[in-house]
Amino acid sequence: MASVSSDEWRAICDKFTNAQNLTVVESCNDPDNDPFRSKYKARELLREIYCSLKSFEAGDGEEEEESGGESGVQRPVEPPVDGQTEEAFSQGFCGDSPAGLRAAKLGAVEYYLGVNHVDTEELSAGQEHLMNCMKLLERCRVSSENVSLFIHVRNQLGILWAGRDETETAQGFLETAESIYQRYMKEDGSPPFDMTDYFSTEENLLTHQERTKRFELAYTHSMYYLAQVYKNLGETERAATYCHSTLQRQLKLNQFSPMEWALNAATLSQYYITKGRYMEGRHCLSAATVISGLAGDVPSEAAAQESETESERREQLRQKRAEIARCWIKYCLNLLQDSKKLLEDSIGELDTDRQEEMKRARRLEEEEEEKERKSALLFGSEDTFDSIASLEEKVGCLLPLDFNEARAIFLVGQNYVTQAKEYFQMDGYVTDHIEILQDHSSLFRSLAFYEEDLERRCKMHKRRVDMMEPVCNELNSKYYLMIRRQMMFELAETFNEMMDLKLTLANRQDDSESLDSHTIKKFNNLCSASAKYFQMFLDSLCSPEGKQPEHLEEEVLRPALVARFRVARLYSRLICTAPSGQVENLDKSLEHYKYVVQYCDTHPEAVATVETELELSREMVGLLPLKINRLKAKMTANN
Amino acid sequence: MASLKVAVRVRPLNKREKQLSSKVIVHMKGNSTSIYKPSPNRGDELKEKGKTFIYDFSYDSSNRGRPTCVSQEKIFHDLGSDVLKAAFEGFNACVFAYGQTGSGKSYTMMGHADDKGLIPQICEGLFSEISHRAKVDAVSFRTEVSYLEIYNERVQDLLIKKTIPTYGGLRVREHPRDGPYVEHLSKCLVQNPNEMEDLINLGNANRTTASTGMNDASSRSHGIFTIRFTQAWFDEEVPRETLSKIHLVDLAGSERADSARTTGTRLKEGANINKSLVILGSVISALAELNVGGQSTKKKIFIPYRDSVLTWLLKDSLGGNSVTTMIATISPADVNYLETLSTLRYASRAKNIVNSPTVNEDENVKVIRELRAEVSRLRGLLEEANQVCHVEPCSSVKVEEELLQNEARVLQLTKEWTSKWGET
Repeated sequence: MASVSSDEWRAICDKFTNAQNLTVVESCNDPDNDPFRSKYKARELLREIYCSLKSFEAGDGEEEEESGGESGVQRPVEPPVDGQTEEAFSQGFCGDSPAGLRAAKLGAVEYYLGVNHVDTEELSAGQEHLMNCMKLLERCRVSSENVSLFIHVRNQLGILWAGRDETETAQGFLETAESIYQRYMKEDGSPPFDMTDYFSTEENLLTHQERTKRFELAYTHSMYYLAQVYKNLGETERAATYCHSTLQRQLKLNQFSPMEWALNAATLSQYYITKGRYMEGRHCLSAATVISGLAGDVPSEAAAQESETESERREQLRQKRAEIARCWIKYCLNLLQDSKKLLEDSIGELDTDRQEEMKRARRLEEEEEEKERKSALLFGSEDTFDSIASLEEKVGCLLPLDFNEARAIFLVGQNYVTQAKEYFQMDGYVTDHIEILQDHSSLFRSLAFYEEDLERRCKMHKRRVDMMEPVCNELNSKYYLMIRRQMMFELAETFNEMMDLKLTLANRQDDSESLDSHTIKKFNNLCSASAKYFQMFLDSLCSPEGKQPEHLEEEVLRPALVARFRVARLYSRLICTAPSGQVENLDKSLEHYKYVVQYCDTHPEAVATVETELELSREMVGLLPLKINRLKAKMTANN
Repeated sequence: MASLKVAVRVRPLNKREKQLSSKVIVHMKGNSTSIYKPSPNRGDELKEKGKTFIYDFSYDSSNRGRPTCVSQEKIFHDLGSDVLKAAFEGFNACVFAYGQTGSGKSYTMMGHADDKGLIPQICEGLFSEISHRAKVDAVSFRTEVSYLEIYNERVQDLLIKKTIPTYGGLRVREHPRDGPYVEHLSKCLVQNPNEMEDLINLGNANRTTASTGMNDASSRSHGIFTIRFTQAWFDEEVPRETLSKIHLVDLAGSERADSARTTGTRLKEGANINKSLVILGSVISALAELNVGGQSTKKKIFIPYRDSVLTWLLKDSLGGNSVTTMIATISPADVNYLETLSTLRYASRAKNIVNSPTVNEDENVKVIRELRAEVSRLRGLLEEANQVCHVEPCSSVKVEEELLQNEARVLQLTKEWTSKWGET
């Protein structure tokens, strides 16, 4: 091979620098109608470098059997299987031997050619080059001279195969990359060569620090690609751990952009929430909030009007911070809801025995938390660690067990609701704004569960109605049909809940069975309001001409039948002193029960979705006529 | 999803594939499409069993010479006429074309002047139906079109000559009454198919196309051609109006949609690293979402990644009563095996991809408990009644009626008695 100081070698180094510059810098400025111009140029340079290296070899009297270099044809190939780590460490040329270095250099060019082809959407050709690189490396033992290439090429092959849905093949490459990294760090650990070092003149070699940085980053990518592979294989737990490690490494190695990182951490919190792992969820969110702060202040409106960049930045920062706030809302909401699920009895009221039991168990849990915290995978750098910890202290991560604990979490959630709404306003962000309102409503609903004072509980539900009713009526069904349906249902249920509370309250205050006319009026209003919104939901299923659908779509099947069932019940609960009114209401009630029964009779596939409701509807269809007849008889008797 | 139809169309071998003496590895029969893995040794027969996918339609347009070759007209007949029907009934409709660069998406959607694709044919169909209906019914029609492209997640108006593209592109917003819209997007009123065609041509000329090794004029952007169609009439003196939107979407080449799944943007290199960091987010969100789907008790979480501009804009067409059609286009050649397979898989999953939110209603625990109590109370009454007249076995209703009659008689007596008593 040409000596490192020769002019020929310098020419190769220059070409390589050019190719890198074309790939990394120039290509970003390529015009839209010729997006790969620089890459194609870089490819030519890499091919020339390849030929020069080969000719050096020929001069050195070595024969190569590889056919690489020229390959523009895309040809599918059987998925290859990666070799074993063990072999890579024990067999082949020494990395620093002339033969080893030569193989590594040729391998690196093949690697860059491979990446170049993949980037320009010529996947099969790219694969061929990458496999050539693998073949060259097969002859070498892992050492600081080549370990980077060992990992990089596997990362690229991993991406390539994963992109083709051949996940196991990708997994093979990436897991080998992982174990090569780990073994190298254990056995050697010295800052390894970067592939660019092969084609750098003496004075341009990278510093040890830079080498380490690049090497670590390559491994961060392996972890991240593995996360995707595990995700695709359905191993979510493992995938989450790899995502977590990826984020942690980015932070530790200071290789991240704050807003992006923060958003990713906030998203990861949502994963932990679904798993009920609130401590990890809170940690991710606290880190997200703190790291997003590193992105700086939101430019003022005035500044945004002055310049487009500031305007874009303002938009981005406000949006992403509002999104992190929304992740916090879900944290608070799920914590409240999970706890409610554990504490409620068969009819959705607080089970005090259960509450006591859980409070006793709590002490144990607290100790456990302390232990877990020490072993958990924590985020943070020296300067952010404390701020993250202090943010975590502001909200609990254990399930709230009484009103005060629940209220503390509610208030944190409500605070984030306000923050999120500042950006996601109704005008312009209808869907988002409403989702936030729905969360706010759910927060109230969860808190109401812990409230013992029924009067105050009722007021909380009233707040829910007040925030949703005007919005629900303002929206155009044509565009927001699904959201409107959700809101109609929720309003119907909320009015129903208030109606029940009013009745319980009235019965408590007054020993006698009879209700005063004021209470009756209130009760009936709530009852009608509930029925009105269920009916509105049912009407939304009709065709534009107002015709009932003969067949209910799967996604509305249960809600539609449940709404019928609920309306039926509500009509029978309306308090009416005149028997004729009573009969009228019961007739309507019967009609709705009948609908449920008849629909299920003609659509047997519906039965499974509404079993209990159907059973009761059948009963009522049998029994309600008696009640109606009795009333009618009374009426005739009274006339 | 109210209605989603999926169709796959295979094009003939192109010049490049012929030069490489490619084998045809895609076969269609009825509504099924099969793909055979090319053998590593060229010249071998296709021994292996292929993978077969069933769609609503499988269109074989691979051999223009054959009479079975599916024409543009046939595709319009199958898919386009439903779109028109929906529009006249006041629903929204949406047609997507998806596939590898160079697989015939633009041909299927736009076609050529003498071999018109779906969009021009739908436009023609619209106007001929309008002129037909206008003669019969007293309905007035208004047709406006807009044409935009989403390139690197930025929205550009294609009906305005591009001067300097604004950095942020046009903003996508939602209005409580008017739905999702693009701020400052131009809307052009059209009166006839020719005007519509002119606008389509204008837009196409403004579209970002690029030259790559794979295809000379591949679409680098998503193109959305939207027809806003208003019908107005008097319904017994009351003015009535319906508006339907027809979105015709030409998606960017599937390579990009695949590698940057959520955004569909072309990945700027340079930047291997940056590119990857962006996607880390979507990996994590997918994890969180996966988990929600799998659990029996659904937890509601928030995934911070904004819907891509595309899904945001099409929100009103991907659910409810709208008619949605997807056409996946593929190459028949062995050299594109993996890409074609991936397109076929994507198309077969399409029905799951479009999912609309549903109503999460409460458990009806309280109501059920109350009703059970009510049922047993009513039953109790019935039994009482049965005991009263156990003499003869009779139907419960009859018993109840008798019981009621008895009761009524008693009441009547009491009433008479009290009134008498009151008189004294």
